Amino acid sequence: MTMATKHKFSKDYVDPVGKSVPRIDGKGIVTGQIKYAFDVSFPNMLVGKLIRSTIPHGKIISIDTSKAEALPGVHAIITAKDTHQIKFGSNEYFFPHTVDQMPLESEKVRYIGDEIGAVAAIDEETLEEALHLIEVKYEELPCVVDPLETMKPGAPLIHEARNNIAVILPVNFGNPDRALKESDYVREDLFYMPAAHMAALEPHVCVGQWETFSNKITLWSSSQAPFKCREALAKTLKMDLNDVRVIKLAVGGGFGGKLEMLPMDFAACLLSKKAGGLPVKICCNREEEFLATRRKHGMVYKLKSGVKKDGTLMAITGEVIADGGAYCSYGPTVLAAAIMRIFMLYKIQHFRVTGYRVYTNTSISGAMRGFGGVQAGFAIESHMDLLAEGIGMDPVEFRLKNITTPNMVTVNKMVLTTNGLKECIEKAVEACAWKKKHGKQKHLCCGIGIGIAADVMGSKMYKSHESAGSIVKVEEDGSVYLFTGAADTGQGCNTALSQIAAQELGVSYSRIRCKSGDTEITPFDTGSFASRVTFISGNATLLAARDAKKQILNVVAQEYKLPPEDLDIKAEAVINKKDNSVLINFDKALEICYSFNYGYQIIGRGSYNPKTTPIDFRTGEGNVSGSYGFEAQIVELEVNKETGEVKILKMWDAHDIGKAINPQSVEAQIEGSLTMGIGYTFLENLHFDKKGRPANGNFANYRLPRGFGIPPMECILVETNDPEGPFGAKGMGEAALLPTSAAIANAIYDAVGVRIKELPITPDKIIKALREKEALEKQHNQVEVIP
Amino acid sequence: MKTLIINKKKYELDLKGHETLLEVLRNHLGLTGTKTACEETECGTCCVNIKGKAILSCITLAYNIEEEITTIEGLSEGETLHPLQKTYLETGAAQCGFCIPGFIMASKALLEKNPEPTQEEMDYALDGNLCRCGGYLRIYDAVIQAGKEMKKLNDQEPRNIATCKG
Amino acid sequence: MLLKPFSFHSPTQLAEAATLYKDLPEVRLLAGGTFLLSNLKSLKRKGLKTPKNVLSLKRIPELHGITADNEQLIIKSMTTIDELFESLLLEDNFKILRTVCRNISTQPIRNMATMGGNLTCRYTWTEMPAAMIGLEARLHFLNGEGTESVLSAEEFFKGGAKTDKILTHVVIKRDKECSIAYRRVRKSSNVDIPLLSLMIKTTFSENRFTNTRVSVNNCVTFAQRDIILENFLNQNICSARITEEALDHLDKTIYDTRSNEYKQHMFRVSIKSALNELVQNQKNKNENSHYQ
Repeated sequence: MTMATKHKFSKDYVDPVGKSVPRIDGKGIVTGQIKYAFDVSFPNMLVGKLIRSTIPHGKIISIDTSKAEALPGVHAIITAKDTHQIKFGSNEYFFPHTVDQMPLESEKVRYIGDEIGAVAAIDEETLEEALHLIEVKYEELPCVVDPLETMKPGAPLIHEARNNIAVILPVNFGNPDRALKESDYVREDLFYMPAAHMAALEPHVCVGQWETFSNKITLWSSSQAPFKCREALAKTLKMDLNDVRVIKLAVGGGFGGKLEMLPMDFAACLLSKKAGGLPVKICCNREEEFLATRRKHGMVYKLKSGVKKDGTLMAITGEVIADGGAYCSYGPTVLAAAIMRIFMLYKIQHFRVTGYRVYTNTSISGAMRGFGGVQAGFAIESHMDLLAEGIGMDPVEFRLKNITTPNMVTVNKMVLTTNGLKECIEKAVEACAWKKKHGKQKHLCCGIGIGIAADVMGSKMYKSHESAGSIVKVEEDGSVYLFTGAADTGQGCNTALSQIAAQELGVSYSRIRCKSGDTEITPFDTGSFASRVTFISGNATLLAARDAKKQILNVVAQEYKLPPEDLDIKAEAVINKKDNSVLINFDKALEICYSFNYGYQIIGRGSYNPKTTPIDFRTGEGNVSGSYGFEAQIVELEVNKETGEVKILKMWDAHDIGKAINPQSVEAQIEGSLTMGIGYTFLENLHFDKKGRPANGNFANYRLPRGFGIPPMECILVETNDPEGPFGAKGMGEAALLPTSAAIANAIYDAVGVRIKELPITPDKIIKALREKEALEKQHNQVEVIP
Repeated sequence: MKTLIINKKKYELDLKGHETLLEVLRNHLGLTGTKTACEETECGTCCVNIKGKAILSCITLAYNIEEEITTIEGLSEGETLHPLQKTYLETGAAQCGFCIPGFIMASKALLEKNPEPTQEEMDYALDGNLCRCGGYLRIYDAVIQAGKEMKKLNDQEPRNIATCKG
Repeated sequence: MLLKPFSFHSPTQLAEAATLYKDLPEVRLLAGGTFLLSNLKSLKRKGLKTPKNVLSLKRIPELHGITADNEQLIIKSMTTIDELFESLLLEDNFKILRTVCRNISTQPIRNMATMGGNLTCRYTWTEMPAAMIGLEARLHFLNGEGTESVLSAEEFFKGGAKTDKILTHVVIKRDKECSIAYRRVRKSSNVDIPLLSLMIKTTFSENRFTNTRVSVNNCVTFAQRDIILENFLNQNICSARITEEALDHLDKTIYDTRSNEYKQHMFRVSIKSALNELVQNQKNKNENSHYQ
């Protein structure tokens, strides 16, 4: 069967963008044949494990691996002395002192689970025996686990940072003190958001192989940012980038936990070298996942804001403390995002919020989906509802009065172009019949929250740029390869990017094959985070497809002696734009390109760098994203006053995505975000024991939402057609996660009049709050009775 | 030596006796469709079918199995996908895909017993499977649609003349 | 996860199994495997000792099946929770077992877990113990010498559910007259961590509570009866008022010893709810017979 018959050209062609086409890798998923790093296996492969600290804080006195090395079946053991002892981190550019983690620690350990070495052996049993034979001597130091305690004078110093504060971010604009004085209503609230875990189903896993004759590394990894992993590996192993290859296969979920090189990636490579080039596989079990990968920052957010009687938001002030764990990871960026989100959502001129990212002797906080915006979302959106209530204003009206608008520049110089926030709120309000339900004090009530998706901290996430590259290669039989550095971790970007490539090239989606996330083959891309892929990688793909098309048309133009600018490819055919007539079909065009006379290889290239400005962390100014996506969420729920149980009846999410490249994927992502939000609001709370070890580090005790807990969800897609986005599309994937907790808390308040300011919202908290409310009312009534 | 019949194929395995079915599938036979995300009975990604029931292979000793086993690899016939595989694709239920084999096997057990389950029956039958990416709603949709398809196929099967006799 | 090695035994005769269980050193019984295998993994993770021998009861035909007649229901110990749930024999007082089964864990676990395992695993988060005490079940065992013995469920759990014998079957007497309510309190509707399993069984005689049994589990180490509540109810008539008053007549050592305020509150909510159900059902029965 030729390409021509397979792809039914012209009259059967349908524009792929905007269609819910099936996943490009879908068949592999449902047949169980698609391969994850979890499934990788090679002959003679060794298994590896990290040697982890058993104390939360201390100096390493000695590590004796001699007995383990003598054990038959042990092929390699490494400790810090086998490494170049080069630190790595994720905020090199602005905060060099936060590059604070060694691949294998040599001097100090800072949390239970901290990596000090690694072992590779022929099988699991030998590995475990070897680990038992390794003797480590520590000088234990006092530890600190609480993020507020850690800042107090006298707390044990974890790094060199004074008061264990890794980063202070003061963000100041205008004159907030004066603005507060001029306000008619001022209130102060304190919110607590716990640590949580990404809990992706596929654990962190990698296979490292060192090619000894060429000194080249290959790492098969479950990474969601293979190029960042490559960069860190090259840095810590002192190698050139082109001697380090990171291959991302299918990934079983990332959610921000797989954004960085971890010591296990480093160890797999170095162990392989020491083992004479045998591949080494290191896989975390679920306990290790909770103990020693990445987690979400727990935060305490204090907000004091003022409003005028007419609803104008005058000033926002406050403080946020983010519990960062033992090392910095993405800390400063998460902290910045937790503060700067406010500017994307509300028009505010007077602002003073200071953020503190602190160290504790617990597992490392990284960038979980939402980048600090989830914790901030709960605090800010609950606070907004409380402000609205203070002046007797409907929460929707209050927001509409103060939200950002299209084509405006915020006080911290963010350039908001398309902005569908108003439309999102209005559509959500309409869909849920807000006016009928809200404020009726029945147990059936609605709450609202709004959120943002942006390529938040886009600039300076990598060393110097944030661009993405794509290559579109068209073969002689008309089949198309898309090479993109983007990392599909399940959100469907391989599919969406293929749709973009197909449409721009003018051919059917079924022609496209996509190869992504292989640092040796695909162009550079910073990875899947900050909801950036559709926008940035999408634009790179668009440009690459456009370039490929141009090359094809140049050849065809030569052949038919026509000006190339008169030609285009539409619906699988080369057409003359002047009269829309069909010249030849796509396959014929390729035949000509690859014919004896021309022999022109069609390799389209695209590179896209978003128009952003670096964040100035001293002032908080900077246009972090090339486009901003918005969303509004409304939750309707019921509270059982006897048991404290909350039953969500329905959720509405109106999302400004610019343009839905694949509506089904977009909706599925939104639903996933809402589910994750339900989890964080009611169930998920990663807490630590006195030694900083996760007290509930397994699925039996860290509960994730299951199918029976999920309410009906209505996704409303708002298309504002961003002029900069590929076919108008902006990023998405995180925004729907941000306001969920607040929307739920606001709805609970609407339903039964109790305000919960601490997550997770568990039945006992509601019962306690209801009892306190009752007692207060009784007291109030008693007082009134006395004449 | 232990004989296991998996996806209608007979395997003679040299086992020691303490291997779980999950290990045998993934490490001995290279059938990596069946996964594990927790090794503690919570995630359901290790779900296979034995005697038409959803069974967790991570807590099943290979040596203790007498019956035939079906894994995700045994569902499609050549290029033809099982109705569940089709509908999981069509509804957008599959995102990262890690949970999907386990979910499909649990769904298959449900639908073969009852192709028209109520919401409550689906809640119960699938309460052992976790999905972190998606919202579960599409999974339920996929199950309902596949059930309709499976019922149609069952109804269309030619009746055995012998059983019709009085 | 690779388990620590052990020798696997799978006899086809009950007598052989009983002998092996007596003679094999450091042996654990394998019923459904849901408890044992999880436990073996946990022991390995913690670096603790694991058994040398595992004795599977799967291939013993006498341990499978459910039978019933006018007098009683016999549940063989290798019956899975799912098989019990699907059984068409659960009528009269046996019907409540369907509710109990529904509350156990998740579907794959219900497909694998057995009656025998649920009763003998000595793990606190189980449902059958309270139910068996409530239904006055009698547990039948077989020892290594081939001698049978019988113990009431209540006695078994009073003894800490310890036994060196094989549980072969459970017998429950049929009772067409009694009323039963069952509650399982979870940490929250989405969090399957059980706080309380509660069964209240009573026979209304001229609208009075008689032969009341209140059995609880999960908030205590081993399932037991709340005699104080039983005594109170047995002195009273079925009425809505009773459900409130009953909360002042509880064995507080069961509910309040290791519980925070919320748990104490939820226990009382559930007891009240269970009693309300019994009272309401009785009321409906009275009204129906009135109209007949």
